[in-house]
Amino acid sequence: MTRYAMVMDTRRCIGCGSCTVACKIHNELPIDIVYNPVTTIGPTGTFPDLTLSFLPLICMHCDNPPCVDACPTTASVQRDDGIVHVVDSKCVGCLSCIMACPYGARQHNHETGTVSKCDFCKDRLEQGKLPHCVATCHQKARIFGDLHDPDSEVSKLLKNNRTVQLLGELNTEPQVFYIY
Amino acid sequence: MSNKHQNWGWMLAVDFFFAGMGGGMLVIAAMVELFGGGTRMSLLGNLLGPVSMCIGCGFLMLELGRPLRAWRVFMNPKAILTVGAWMMSVAIISGFIYAAMAIPLDLIFWRGWTTLGKCLAVVNLVTGLVVATYPGVLLGRLKGRPFWGGPGIIALYLLSSLITASAVHFLSGLLTPAPAMTIWQALPGLIAVLLLFQLLLWTGYLWIKQSGATAAEANSAQRWTSGDLASAFKIGFVALGTVAPLVLVLLPFPVARAVGAVLALLGGVTMRLLTIRSGEDRTFLPGEQKYRLRLPTGDEEFLHKNWL
Repeated sequence: MTRYAMVMDTRRCIGCGSCTVACKIHNELPIDIVYNPVTTIGPTGTFPDLTLSFLPLICMHCDNPPCVDACPTTASVQRDDGIVHVVDSKCVGCLSCIMACPYGARQHNHETGTVSKCDFCKDRLEQGKLPHCVATCHQKARIFGDLHDPDSEVSKLLKNNRTVQLLGELNTEPQVFYIY
Repeated sequence: MSNKHQNWGWMLAVDFFFAGMGGGMLVIAAMVELFGGGTRMSLLGNLLGPVSMCIGCGFLMLELGRPLRAWRVFMNPKAILTVGAWMMSVAIISGFIYAAMAIPLDLIFWRGWTTLGKCLAVVNLVTGLVVATYPGVLLGRLKGRPFWGGPGIIALYLLSSLITASAVHFLSGLLTPAPAMTIWQALPGLIAVLLLFQLLLWTGYLWIKQSGATAAEANSAQRWTSGDLASAFKIGFVALGTVAPLVLVLLPFPVARAVGAVLALLGGVTMRLLTIRSGEDRTFLPGEQKYRLRLPTGDEEFLHKNWL
């Protein structure tokens, strides 16, 4: 059984924001909605030993997603391959999922009245393509694949590198891993 | 990105107020029916319970992004909102049927059915308790919101529901006398005790949050003690909504007690507005707050001038 996951190699990310722009354009998002921001941490340290790093954020498509159980209309669903998405026709815009998500991954679209979020470009996955943000990243800082396939790049990266999951103490079991 | 995407608005706070108050009113009415020696609270008070919940439902629907699809909230039994919606629906129907038993009309053919009254009281007790409690459970389960997370907020919401419910039952009894006169006369004392308990509970809650396990909890609590929510909390909720009514309801003057009851309602609304506002606080990820502050909100002048 496929289980999609993403690895963010923060050593490679240069904070260009191409992934953010690609996602925004292809999903035709309103001006005030961003699915995958890239935040800047720093600069920290004392000159000349300064560091600046970038943190790409995205829906974590958690194994234990609090947003799915919070949804009263079953609009928020998790597929067998782990992708969490919103069925727009069922969403009533109650914002329960937004309040339940500790990652700020969901946004209320005021034009449609519903909630929207990253869905790992599931439509592209069905065509054998990668999500827009992964395909766009010229630094190869985003790696996407099947966690249950030991030969996949994500599996190999997780095996050979130290990784961290954000807010892991909340027991959400996020499936986006960060190499630092 | 503006906060308009990230938090519930004032309408949900008002929904919680009316729903909680209505649920509490059903609980009090049920307790009197079952243990009050064959008497009931005032007709107006018994009617205002389900009416209050209807008003709460109205505000909940208005808060939705798609109000006309509100019926969909009944779909997911795992969701606390769904449980609350079902319980509120049953409570409203049961509450109206029970309240109608005191209306001297032949149309109310069930008004003399004592056993039905007792059964409805049991239903009202259970559903009213759930309706009065579930907003606190809903908030307490949200791990990502540091001020809400944990069981403490359940007690705060239930307590406030009982206070506001007692206040409205008392005010209703001033307008239409309650058959359960002895119990009605004891309501000011009950309100005073509950208000004192509320004061103590909030003191403990803020102290625990401020010395909390995470910096996010401490920061969110700091908003209440010395931050942007402090004035509204100290003046609106503590002084006017808790201490003042605590004193007024104990005075032997009906006017003073009535004012005290109204101020207790003010405290209930203020508390819910402030706690919902506190939901803006999340355990933000590194760099996230700085990033979001720089995003457009959609209201910028240059957008309206050139593109929109």
